[in-house]
Amino acid sequence: MMELLGRIAGALADLNSEELSRLIQEALEGGIPPTRILEDGLRRGLEEVGRRFEAGEYFLSELLYGADLMSESMKTLASRFNFEGSGGRGVIVLGTVRGDIHDIGKNIFKMFAEGCGFKVYDLGVDVDPERFIEAVSEENPDVLGLSALLTTVLPEVELVVKKLEEAGLRDKVKILLGGNAVTEEFGRRIGVDGVAADAVQGVGLCREWTAGGRA
Amino acid sequence: MTPRERVRNTIRFRKVDVIPWYESFYVDTVVRWLSEGLPAHRIVETEWRLRHSRTFLNWPEFKGFNLYDFFGTINLRGLIVPVDGGPIPRFKHRKIGETERYQEYLMESGAIARKLKGEHSWYSMPQFVDFPVKDMESWEKYKERLNPDDPRRYPLDWDKEAYLNLFEEYQEGSTMLYITGFYGFGAELMGIPQFNLAFYKDPELIHDMASYWEYFNIERLRDAVEALKDRIDIVFWWEDLATRHGPNISPRLYREFLLPHYRRVIGFLNKNKIDRVMMDSDGNLYPILDLIVEAGITGLWPLEVNAGMDVRLVREKYGEKLFLAGNLDKRKVAEGGEAMRSEVDSKVSFMKESGGYIAGLDHVVPLDMSYRRFIEYAEYLKPMLATGP
Repeated sequence: MMELLGRIAGALADLNSEELSRLIQEALEGGIPPTRILEDGLRRGLEEVGRRFEAGEYFLSELLYGADLMSESMKTLASRFNFEGSGGRGVIVLGTVRGDIHDIGKNIFKMFAEGCGFKVYDLGVDVDPERFIEAVSEENPDVLGLSALLTTVLPEVELVVKKLEEAGLRDKVKILLGGNAVTEEFGRRIGVDGVAADAVQGVGLCREWTAGGRA
Repeated sequence: MTPRERVRNTIRFRKVDVIPWYESFYVDTVVRWLSEGLPAHRIVETEWRLRHSRTFLNWPEFKGFNLYDFFGTINLRGLIVPVDGGPIPRFKHRKIGETERYQEYLMESGAIARKLKGEHSWYSMPQFVDFPVKDMESWEKYKERLNPDDPRRYPLDWDKEAYLNLFEEYQEGSTMLYITGFYGFGAELMGIPQFNLAFYKDPELIHDMASYWEYFNIERLRDAVEALKDRIDIVFWWEDLATRHGPNISPRLYREFLLPHYRRVIGFLNKNKIDRVMMDSDGNLYPILDLIVEAGITGLWPLEVNAGMDVRLVREKYGEKLFLAGNLDKRKVAEGGEAMRSEVDSKVSFMKESGGYIAGLDHVVPLDMSYRRFIEYAEYLKPMLATGP
């Protein structure tokens, strides 16, 4: 069984869609539970896609296609087994801060995070600080992801952190920053938990924070 | 030397008396500066136009802001070859929705974009909600608007001789030809995620788009290029194809889908003595720089520092294969003082020795740059640009 799951992981990592479909079919017909196919096959494959992206072997097209293959494969599993299969890794509340309406990077992060097993609540773009606080309070996420492309909205990022502190929620959630405007230096200055240069790095940090259960 | 001579010499690694300095500005940045001391009367430009409906006299009408003369920068994009590269007919630009905070527009390209109310320009990029090309069927339909032979691509007063003289006489900046590279073209028609995915999910579509892009650009430009030939100083090749992480497409995809078409389009330009092509892309381009050079690109702007680009490293590796423009970190310049001075010192002195460099920030001057900081930067930078003893 592990050998077949390893081949599923490999087919996804190599972005070989035909081979991937065939192997999933073989696994299902062989009685391998969909949860194992998902966890030990597909997710390992997508993680390898992320690793290759970080190593500079893969680029945006490959990352997106890997996440797309994952999503299509999950649909196949869901159609056969009334199986949700998402969200086990942890919960992320995500949004682009007020004054900024950019969403490409945020959406790529969301796609990859969902593929890696996180439940993502996407608040969209131009999100008011109060809405972030409300969502953290309601969804009790492990991670709050704030995206900012424009340097002009960096004060908004700072404001969200401040409001979380005021609401007494700061210690309950890890804060992750992403987007072209943010830097490590800025992140350190405003006291967030991590700054990611891209989707894979961001999901890597989320995985680290949730590795031993809830962050 | 005239500003144009300085640019022409710089991009050919010849001597200049003063290194050219180029900046471009968002309207919102200018609006901010007007409230911080930028004198409006010194930068307002008017154009004398005939008001057909009322009179036969020419009247001065507001045209825009000219900051080139005021700051002493060059107008790199001075005269543009007037050939339309967009869809004809255009989609009718109109507002299609509005909330308390946003306005949603159908753009002339056919995309739907949302912007925050009160913005005077697309500060960076809008949020795109929909795109006109989704698959082969919508692409075939869109092609009907990209007929290179449509006479509306050239001005009503297209008179080769007159343009030849105009391009010959112009000395305030450089003369330019605009081309949107294939990645920029596809991303604007399909959106970045869908376009990038299509390289894997629908490679036939991408091959067809790339072939048509090549044909469309060569044919629409043929008349102007053959007429203006050596009067065109630079091709401005726009395509934002990278982020901080690296290029959006891999070297393998670039080689397979872009390179053959780029070589043919640039080959067509080269045959017509147009041999300086400056690519405009943000992001980290290092992984595909060899391919960019192989494609025939000969210059880069703006070399985004936040993405790890450094004029000195690029020059060390590529020598005179690439002239370089920009790369002064806008964040350091906005910080002012020692941070600004050390950024300018370290790069400008190196590039002054090396040549083939147009000084400037590593992108359009951002909205969070105060007028005071920009003046401080201008006053520090300008004396350093003279190359004389």
